[in-house]
Amino acid sequence: MDDDLKTSVKGRILQVADLPTLPDVLEEVTRLVEDPDASTEAIAKVISRDQVLSAKVLKMVNSPIYGFPGRISSIQHALVLLGFNVIRGIIISTSVFDMMVLNMKGLWEHSLGCATACNIIARRAGFEDPEEYAVAGLLHDLGKVVTAVQLPDLHATIVATVRDKDLSYFQAEKEVMGFGHDRINAWLARHWGLPPNIREAMARHHAPHLAEFYKPMACVVHLGDFLVRLFEFGNSGDDQTAYLRPEALLELKFKMSDLDRVMDEMAEQFIEVSDVTF
Amino acid sequence: MSQTLEKSLFQRGQTAFLLSPDASLAAMLRALWSPDVLSFTVFEKGGKAIEHLFNDPPDLLIVDNRLADIPAVEVANLVKSENVYRQLPVVMCVDPVDVETPWNWNVIEVDDFLVRPFNPSEVRDRINLTLCRAMRALDANPLSKLPGNTSIIQRIQQLIDAGEDFALAYCDLDYFKSYNDKYGFSRGDEVLMMTARLIVNTIRSYHGIMSFVGHVGGDDFVFILPPDKAEDACQRIIAAFDDIVPHFYDPDDRKRGNITSVDREGKTRIFPLMAVSIAVVVNTGGRITHYGEVSSIAMELKKKAKENPRSCYVIDQRQV
Repeated sequence: MDDDLKTSVKGRILQVADLPTLPDVLEEVTRLVEDPDASTEAIAKVISRDQVLSAKVLKMVNSPIYGFPGRISSIQHALVLLGFNVIRGIIISTSVFDMMVLNMKGLWEHSLGCATACNIIARRAGFEDPEEYAVAGLLHDLGKVVTAVQLPDLHATIVATVRDKDLSYFQAEKEVMGFGHDRINAWLARHWGLPPNIREAMARHHAPHLAEFYKPMACVVHLGDFLVRLFEFGNSGDDQTAYLRPEALLELKFKMSDLDRVMDEMAEQFIEVSDVTF
Repeated sequence: MSQTLEKSLFQRGQTAFLLSPDASLAAMLRALWSPDVLSFTVFEKGGKAIEHLFNDPPDLLIVDNRLADIPAVEVANLVKSENVYRQLPVVMCVDPVDVETPWNWNVIEVDDFLVRPFNPSEVRDRINLTLCRAMRALDANPLSKLPGNTSIIQRIQQLIDAGEDFALAYCDLDYFKSYNDKYGFSRGDEVLMMTARLIVNTIRSYHGIMSFVGHVGGDDFVFILPPDKAEDACQRIIAAFDDIVPHFYDPDDRKRGNITSVDREGKTRIFPLMAVSIAVVVNTGGRITHYGEVSSIAMELKKKAKENPRSCYVIDQRQV
């Protein structure tokens, strides 16, 4: 039974053809792509706030058609390589949620908060290309969005289970489906040809100690997710406290003082980001 | 109805062979173009034409299915089965009865077909289109699909002839060979595709101006812009390339900032990450009168750009 469910869920998830997003970012990007003077940097900055648009752009640039599959994990690079016409095409063909908007707003904020946190953590840890860690943070709950769009009934059951049994969203997913959005992330990332570092961080953000090749990135996203929940910035589907794996801090060689610094910086940046409305 | 060569779609006069016993078809075709634009050599029998075709292939072959001695399909396949003649576009003329049952276009490799009764203006445009399409397909770089050498030279000569000011930039990659040697051809192709895309998008981001991007082959690319945009374009291409190319290396090499590979003498050496060198020739005030001058100036500049192992550009500063 479990395996049958998994196969059918996977089938539905990978069939996702038209992933909607929230109207505000889409409107802003639409305005930018219609403006001939808008720079790619400006467009990249706005797209980097939206998990669905970011995922679409990365999926496109990493598709075999462009000839360098799985190589690009930065939105800025993706825009340079896709070019204005293709970006415009992606934006024009993206629709907005007609339902669930309120639900999704919390998740969008949580994802943006996590992206911001990952950028700060990666810089604190001295890693190169912190914006790629931000991309991984932005996409870490994409599986939840796709489930809500493709399997609305299952999604409703998970939401009800969170409420009725006082569970975290992740625990409720496991109770209802037998697996979580981390698994769904792995399917999506592989199917869309996303780069292996992003893929592993998306798939391992709940179990970073199991990451095989890109453990630092998985640990950054794990910590980012934990901290953004601590700040109660946005909502990822429940009000539970998440578990922080000590291995993640060890991997990043973080002491308490590092965490303090990261949280100070998060507090500062969240004031800026909270101007962003979804 | 017939135009001069200058006003036609073609850079030079085109030649066509018509293999048909139908004199009215030959007369119609000859009336559609002036002979300097498209001239026809007519063969009433197919067999006679084959040797001519192989010795001195025309730009276009039109084969009539009414040929008495040899089926049109056989002529078409004879041409298409030889790699050196494959690019020759073949148009087949048929009668309505011939198209009653579907043809297997995988076996009959013609480029287009015309059905009687012919409508002269349709015939004219179908054949013009076939010729243009063949030129594009022939010249496109097989990897990037960007226009190749013939189109590049044509474009430069056009600009020179029109007396327009332009900047022509030659881009190539430093240490591409060592990357290829270490990571293999398909990873090398990834870098070329990335570079092509990056140059195209940078050049296209200047709206409403004359521009062109071509792929000479391998790691050599060309772009053309108005002189006042050239320097900005070089800077943007270099910035984007230097930013993106490290991601095409394995994490260890990227962290180290170099790769260990084998040089031309077979010795193991350490090579820096790839960089892009750009040489820009500026033609203002009609200083340059022939394509050859452009390329010789560019080759000199390229040497200079190559002296720097990092990405860099050199702009030809000579004045009129």
